[in-house]
Amino acid sequence: MIDNGLLVQMILGALLGLSVYLPMAAGQLSLATPAFYAVGGTLAALLSTQGNAQSAISLWAVLGEMLLAGCLTAGLALLVGLPVLRLRGIYLAIATIALVEIVRVAILNLPFTGGAAGIFGIPQPFQKPFGYVLFSGALLAVCGWLFQRLEASRLGRSMAAIRDDELASRCMGIHTTRVKLTAFLASAVLAGITGVIAAHYLNTWNARQGSFDVAITTLAFVILGGSRSWLGPVIGGLLLTALPELLRPVGDLRLVLFGLVILLGPVFFPQGLITPALLERLGRWKP
Amino acid sequence: MSGQASAAPLLELRQISRQFGGLQALSEVSFQVEQGEIFGLIGPNGAGKTTLFNLLSGVTPASNGTIHWRGQAMQGLSPDRHNRLGIARTFQNLRLFTGLSVLENVLVALHRQPQGGKLDALLNSSRFRRRQSELRERALQLLEELGLADQAHRQASGLAYGDRRRLEIARALATAPALLLLDEPAAGMNPREKEQLCELLAQLRQRHQLTLVVIEHHVPLLMQLCQRLAVLDFGRLIALGTPEQIQRDPRVIEAYLGGSR
Ligand SMILES: Nc1ncnc2c1ncn2[C@@H]1O[C@H](COP(=O)(O)OP(=O)(O)OP(=O)(O)O)[C@@H](O)[C@H]1O
Ligand SMILES: [Mg+2]
Repeated sequence: MIDNGLLVQMILGALLGLSVYLPMAAGQLSLATPAFYAVGGTLAALLSTQGNAQSAISLWAVLGEMLLAGCLTAGLALLVGLPVLRLRGIYLAIATIALVEIVRVAILNLPFTGGAAGIFGIPQPFQKPFGYVLFSGALLAVCGWLFQRLEASRLGRSMAAIRDDELASRCMGIHTTRVKLTAFLASAVLAGITGVIAAHYLNTWNARQGSFDVAITTLAFVILGGSRSWLGPVIGGLLLTALPELLRPVGDLRLVLFGLVILLGPVFFPQGLITPALLERLGRWKP
Repeated sequence: MSGQASAAPLLELRQISRQFGGLQALSEVSFQVEQGEIFGLIGPNGAGKTTLFNLLSGVTPASNGTIHWRGQAMQGLSPDRHNRLGIARTFQNLRLFTGLSVLENVLVALHRQPQGGKLDALLNSSRFRRRQSELRERALQLLEELGLADQAHRQASGLAYGDRRRLEIARALATAPALLLLDEPAAGMNPREKEQLCELLAQLRQRHQLTLVVIEHHVPLLMQLCQRLAVLDFGRLIALGTPEQIQRDPRVIEAYLGGSR
């Protein structure tokens, strides 16, 4: 069954799926999401465990951490994005995997991040998981609104055009570097603030939270869910986070089944679960 | 002649060359295009016509020589800067946004028009919706001019070949250019469609105050359409002049009919 604890993880998965989706909607295969997720989580863990240890933290303090994490990841994304977004396709993917590794190794070896064990006793803004459900659910709803608006706006159209044909977009006068960088920045900020929530929810944080595995899993959210509309990564993130838990009754077989879903999903749903045709039938999502 | 911007031609090529490795795709090509004219560019396959368009639209840099736009040298400018200066193009091998609808292809290209405010976009305010529906109207109007309005909501990849060529023109027009570069706009069209396209281009030039440079293999069509033509052969400019002059030029006859190649 889906309890509140799993629901929080599912929503966090959906948010990470949206983070991977953003650059992809502008045709960029970036796997950098776990790096920014790790930066956000580590920042929250460090800030909230400073001074005399408390077990509770105010929601305002968490919002402050989210703001800081947003600024930090945006700055980092700007720094990294300008050189890296010159790369295309698989080269961009490899460069962003390298970024994930650099951030992971840095967090592992910095003198104040607790080494391999990480940081413990991160204080909680909510006493029960249900508080996290409401909080992260509200964030997901806001993101849904923003993504819906994005896809109806010039920026969203330019992203879709770049995804189809970058050279033609440039010849139509679109400042493609700016558009790609904007998508990359928004992706980083979303991953960073998701990391803040995750660190509080998980109560502990270490370098493994932002590993290459996470890059692959979150990419699977988008590929299985569908990359033609923001609903795809949301559905993909919710389902694929829930699946391993729902399969728990079948024991060790669950990892095999989970692998099969990731493997066969694209075979049976090459465009993902949420396709433009499906949205068309569900009513006009695209104005 | 420096200093007098108004006296400068719209477009001027000075000794333009382009090499690809050992291949000389263009060598020392010079000519001018005047405001408002329809200028033809012909030449056998591989003569360097598309390469010339790539230089004029900033897609590839010249190896040597300079291109002047309204009297100003355009050097090292990106393709998007070229478009913002007023040069738009179509592609010989069609580069539409195939995942988008016909209407969206044109809407994308209207990106420099006022959109109705960023905050308004976020809140989906009535001002934003009004402005967006005006933009859709504008896009539909352009599609109408090219005879594509009834297909506005189809996906671009589903269009017939000739319609895709016309959509390329509509999309380029949406960026409000002063100079439109058309790379074989009639390729794949039947004789009747070619005839209609010819009339259409003349109309569009009038209505949008355009200057046109047209690459076309179908020489009779260009003879009818253009005020002046340039002929390229193996990257060299072998003739430049009115259709009558070109028709009588022995070097052109040699390049096209002298079948020793
Ligand atoms: N990017 C490139 N790299 C290498 N060679 C190129 C490149 N672009 C063009 N060429 C070569 O330059 C020459 C001119 O090509 P171009 O496409 O300009 O000819 P064209 O006149 O447009 O021919 P067509 O009528 O067949 O379209 C050809 O030999 C072509 O192979
Ligand atoms: Mg060509």
